[in-house]
Amino acid sequence: MSTDWKTEVDKCSKCGKCHTVCPVFLETGDESMVSRGRISLAEALRDKQIVYTDKLRDYVYSCKKCMRCRTVCPSGVDYEVIISALLSGVAENMGIPLLPRIIFRYILPRRILFDLMLKVSSKIQWLIPMKRRGQMRHLPLLFMGKRWIPTLAKKTALQKFRKTKKLKNPKMRVGLFTGCLINYIYVDIAEAVVDVLNRMNIEVVVPQGQLCCGTPSSTMGDFKSTKKLADVNKEVFESQKLDAIVTACATCTKAIKMDYLRTLGPSWQSMSDKIYDISEFIDKYCGDEYETKPIDEKVTYHDPCHLLWVRGISDEPRNVLKKSSDFVEMDQAGACCGGGGIFTIIHYDLTLKMLERKVASIERSGADTVATNCPGCVMQIADGFAGKNSKIKTTHSIQILQKALVDSGINKEK
Amino acid sequence: MKQETHNNKIQAKVFEELCDAIGRENVFDNIEERVCYSFDATKEKSIPDLVIRPHSTEQVSNTVSIANQHNIPICPRGAGTGLSGGSVPIKGGIALDLKNMNRIVELNARDLTVTVEPGVVTKDLQDEAAKHRLFYPPEPGSAGFSTIGGNVAECTGGMTGMKYGVTRDYVLALEIVLPDGSVINTGSKTLRSVAGYDLTRFFVGSEGTLGVLTKITLKLLPLPAKIGTVMSYFKDIDSVLNATDSIIVKNHLHPRSLEFVDKTCIGAVRGSAEETIPEEAGAFLLIDVDGNEKNVANDISRIEALCRENSALKTSIAKTDDERDALWDVRKSVSPSLFKIASMKFNDDFCVPRSKVREVLKKVYELGKTYSIQVAAFGHIGEGHIHLNVIYNDGKEMDLSVHKLVSQILKEVVLIGGTITSEHGVGDAKAEFIGLELAPHEIEIMKDLKKMFDPKGIMNPGKIFI
Repeated sequence: MSTDWKTEVDKCSKCGKCHTVCPVFLETGDESMVSRGRISLAEALRDKQIVYTDKLRDYVYSCKKCMRCRTVCPSGVDYEVIISALLSGVAENMGIPLLPRIIFRYILPRRILFDLMLKVSSKIQWLIPMKRRGQMRHLPLLFMGKRWIPTLAKKTALQKFRKTKKLKNPKMRVGLFTGCLINYIYVDIAEAVVDVLNRMNIEVVVPQGQLCCGTPSSTMGDFKSTKKLADVNKEVFESQKLDAIVTACATCTKAIKMDYLRTLGPSWQSMSDKIYDISEFIDKYCGDEYETKPIDEKVTYHDPCHLLWVRGISDEPRNVLKKSSDFVEMDQAGACCGGGGIFTIIHYDLTLKMLERKVASIERSGADTVATNCPGCVMQIADGFAGKNSKIKTTHSIQILQKALVDSGINKEK
Repeated sequence: MKQETHNNKIQAKVFEELCDAIGRENVFDNIEERVCYSFDATKEKSIPDLVIRPHSTEQVSNTVSIANQHNIPICPRGAGTGLSGGSVPIKGGIALDLKNMNRIVELNARDLTVTVEPGVVTKDLQDEAAKHRLFYPPEPGSAGFSTIGGNVAECTGGMTGMKYGVTRDYVLALEIVLPDGSVINTGSKTLRSVAGYDLTRFFVGSEGTLGVLTKITLKLLPLPAKIGTVMSYFKDIDSVLNATDSIIVKNHLHPRSLEFVDKTCIGAVRGSAEETIPEEAGAFLLIDVDGNEKNVANDISRIEALCRENSALKTSIAKTDDERDALWDVRKSVSPSLFKIASMKFNDDFCVPRSKVREVLKKVYELGKTYSIQVAAFGHIGEGHIHLNVIYNDGKEMDLSVHKLVSQILKEVVLIGGTITSEHGVGDAKAEFIGLELAPHEIEIMKDLKKMFDPKGIMNPGKIFI
């Protein structure tokens, strides 16, 4: 893993420009919680001035991995190479806590066990006395700590779409990579993807053998587990004859389109080229064809970090939303909502501060609904509005299109 | 390696004393935090014994007086974006991070003044002023992330110097914590004041060697209605200099900025810039003018014509703010982009009388050739200011040659009538060269003055003077 991080750190000119965009530094002003500081820590590790400690782990985990710093770095530092090396170093030198280790190594690679674990957890959580905020409640404590999230779906997306709905003369045949959040919680997002694409005469396969994209294990430096998952996903998707692969999760897109190129090597390139975010796909292949009756709601869009700052996707989701609603822009649309993985557990206070800023931006926009292209962001932002008695709804942009789409007559029947 | 995670240089007793005085949560002794406060943008590195992050003047005063009692060096720090090693704690001691003191205390639009804490980011102040249609002109390349405290301590200049001068021209009053912990106020929050010696001006550019700035009152100007921008590419530096003279001296135009970049710098930013740079370009000029809409439009077209008269290869006029930002991004990314050529660089900031730029640049390129070391030049050429960058890869032999080259260049600069630093400060990067410019007697006077404020020499030791 990351053979060249030791030279990559030398590229950093220590200019400090990453201060201007780092969502964590914006809250803390602490040099140990920004790319430049973490790069200096990597340098000190390389030069054997420091060793792995609990403190170091906290600083490494304080990175949101939004990669926004990389977009402004005038020295062209590939920060992802460095942060991945630090995460992997933390895992190798300090170990991964038992529970995540079991989950990454034994449960995530086995769909049946993963289903079972969540099922059991969802049963147990009803036994635990808990607070409620609107429709939101705690996810099993063992899994996500203090987060407020919606209930687990009774039937997962994979179970729901076991059979592919065959179309007569489909324009294309695409595979849906669901990702865990959509599979287990936001099944309605998967339904919207399948429904919208089918109505656009595109056949959607939801390959059954697919597993987690591997981001949770990568963010804890367990790249071995990520590799295992990637190998399976590669086999599953390569065995299908697909014109494209779509996802509705920004983080999964980043993982399978970009990260897998490192995890699996150049052999993944031809598959990687076929992977699209759902709005990107619709904009590219169906942009001029579909008709809509815009919904009577003001809708704003939040840019997920992994879509905007990693892939530069910003117009495509907006194009879809502009056709589907009364679109309004919010200020700081590209500012991180604070959601995402281990960070939200270890730096919960910072997560909340980022969320507060995001919620305020959304409120200022005057929108009735905030749409985004990542279930992680949906969960986080919905958490921000939960219990606030706010009427603002949080949704995925594909669900807005689903409501606004006017059937063209092909494959109209459900 | 437990011993490395805690340092033994600060006695436990003193550590306790500091924690009691300013709160344990503001005192950091772990090695990780100390590493993060060990450097600035020179890439020089020296790990402090402690990092202290105060929130108030009182906490600064308590920290400094305890340090003074125990002879512990204090190295004040803003964002650590300096280019002379000013915030690198080269003698260890306490790295005093002022980033948490970041309040805009009072903006008085009718008085045209603003009082801020030192940790306010320069651009944040400018944005706040702009809300009142006011303007804080000094604009270092790092304005988006460097702090006012650092800007004042180094007396930074920046891109608007041609028309608006440098930081010192805007500092009206200061609140300063002296090494004995006492707090003094210099100057006055009025636009003019001549009561007594000008201590304010004495502290501006003092590089943290006299005391800690805890409040800064700055002068603001009415915000110009419009800024116009022209980018003009030339075949060589001679054409650039002819064009600048034609604009300023012959046609009496007064641009807000007049920035120049040479061939090596263009090579470093080519490709990453949105702007298409002509293949044969050997230099460019980036020119800003400001004022009311009509005058700006008029000046811009005259300047564009003058550039063409002086054989510009291509000129582009920014039509929107985005286009203007894109042109300025090219200029601002030059300095860090030079690290793409080699891993080390020495970023100089000398200044010569305007009429001597041609002469000094000729000399500099010749010296580069003699030493076989790559040099790149850019800077605020309207003021005779050059950021000369010596670019090299690490290695002992190379270090020695680079040192010789820099020393030779600075000698020439002084001989021509220039100064060895015009906005980065001396720090420790240029401390050994100060004798080139200042006479021994002048240096003695400065040292005596420092002693008066800082008799134990705890304030940023090793900077300015060796």
